[in-house]
Amino acid sequence: MTSTTTGALARWVLSAPLLIFLAVFAVFPLILGSWISATDRSILSTTIDFVGLSNYFQTLSDPKFWSAVRFTALFTLITTIATLVFGFLLALLVNRKFPGKTVLLTVLILPIMVAPALMGIMFRLVLNADIGLVPAVLNRFGLDLYLFSPHFVVNLLVVLEVLQWTPFTFLILYAGLQALPQDVFEAAAIDGSSAWRTTFQITVPLMVPAFFVAGFLRAVDALRTFDVIFVLTGGGPGTLTSTLSIYIYKKAFIEGSFGLASAAAMLVLLMVVPLIPLVIRRVTTQVGDVQ
Amino acid sequence: MTGPRISPLLITLAVAIVAIIVNLPLIGALLTSFKTDGAIVNQPLGLPLPMTLEHYENVLYRAGYDFPLFFRNSAAIAFGTVVLVTLISVPAAYAIVRLKLGGQWLLNAVAAMRLLPAMFFVLPFFVMLSTAGLLDSIWAMIIVDTFLNLPIAMVILARGVADVPIEIEEAAKIDGASAYRILTSVILPLLAPSIAAAALITFLFTWNDYIFAIIVTTSEARTVTVGVSQFVTSYGILWGDVSAGVMLSVVIPIMFAVFGQRYLVSGLASGSVKG
Repeated sequence: MTSTTTGALARWVLSAPLLIFLAVFAVFPLILGSWISATDRSILSTTIDFVGLSNYFQTLSDPKFWSAVRFTALFTLITTIATLVFGFLLALLVNRKFPGKTVLLTVLILPIMVAPALMGIMFRLVLNADIGLVPAVLNRFGLDLYLFSPHFVVNLLVVLEVLQWTPFTFLILYAGLQALPQDVFEAAAIDGSSAWRTTFQITVPLMVPAFFVAGFLRAVDALRTFDVIFVLTGGGPGTLTSTLSIYIYKKAFIEGSFGLASAAAMLVLLMVVPLIPLVIRRVTTQVGDVQ
Repeated sequence: MTGPRISPLLITLAVAIVAIIVNLPLIGALLTSFKTDGAIVNQPLGLPLPMTLEHYENVLYRAGYDFPLFFRNSAAIAFGTVVLVTLISVPAAYAIVRLKLGGQWLLNAVAAMRLLPAMFFVLPFFVMLSTAGLLDSIWAMIIVDTFLNLPIAMVILARGVADVPIEIEEAAKIDGASAYRILTSVILPLLAPSIAAAALITFLFTWNDYIFAIIVTTSEARTVTVGVSQFVTSYGILWGDVSAGVMLSVVIPIMFAVFGQRYLVSGLASGSVKG
């Protein structure tokens, strides 16, 4: 047995668990999901009939689907940009020496550890009109707002999402800032470049790849937002705050139509897939480079 | 060090204010969990004086809540998922990076899984698990959470393997060590920080998962994240008890994260995604 043959065998033995798991729990569900989307399967179905593309046509002509697409797209765009901007400003601020830095850094990233669903419940508590911290403070200033009214609720959800995920973008951008080559900044300082100019002409351009990764990861997550909004508003009032994930969930487990829900999920999948090559290369190349 | 000069104390103040704002929900729930019911209603801005532990007692001992069961489930599922993810991803990362299995393509495909909408997989998983009679079981949750976390773990560990100096491996090869021997004696000890990062992130996202837990579990295998979020609907909201339940649910991931912060930051920054 030469070392190359053992290597060839070892390669398959070592990766067998992964390949088996992927076959059963990734590839097969993809096929099954595609099949379900072409049937009239429901949560209680006894007979399942093939219906071709009719679920897709039905979903595409459902105004609620399009309102979910609109809400999700808007929500994703605004929260992604806002978390990037605030995360970067915070990273610039923290990327200096100041007292209490270690402790504050830990406290800053605590929201990342908390389940979004439980975060949603805590938001309900602090925003509760009768017993919440926030309305109590607003009342002190003579403001009496019903934050969950149709008038405010979309803005409220955007603000909450930005609050919860700014620590995440901050963390990635802060790691990016720390990895920047220091000599560039020393040279700029020697040239007498002003602090603002250094930030805009050197730091920001160097950070583009980090922005890209942080922004893309945040956008993909915002696209599938479910927990926080589901716990806070259930997608209401009406379907005003239904994300695509909530729309699919309700189609499947409230209305019981697995066929329609799978078709909607497939449509979302098709929206995301073209974006994947853009980011994957950046996430995994470093591994390839070392080889 | 870029940007305008600001006094260090001012920065401390500014960062502290931001830290308080992003943690306001946690602070609110913490205060509420120690308040008497009267204080919760009458003093939304007051400190919890007199302090009470009744809400914690309710959550832990009152039969209707089942909190201890949820907690045991969450712990078992998170632990099982960490073990399974580690067992699958460590050898596979080595096979992909060093034994050139599937090249860049396989790693990309696995990493891409993480970007696909989870909602798409919920339905086929539900059908598969109910056919197999596994719905509402710890095993079902371990499977779906492994699916959720494998991509991140693979990326972190592949990077970890790639960072091991190839010379060390070459030396072991010349001494006639087999691939398995190299993996266990040479790579594994050096991979410890990457394994810790992958395990920690897997633990966090499994513990905090909601979307799969709400669909795959109904009662027996209910986790704290779903269980506590349903205190809200089933009891007309007893905010004191809900806050105590939330606090008991977040204390474990927060402690893990604080003590393992170094690994967590390195793992998250290596291009992983939240759960």
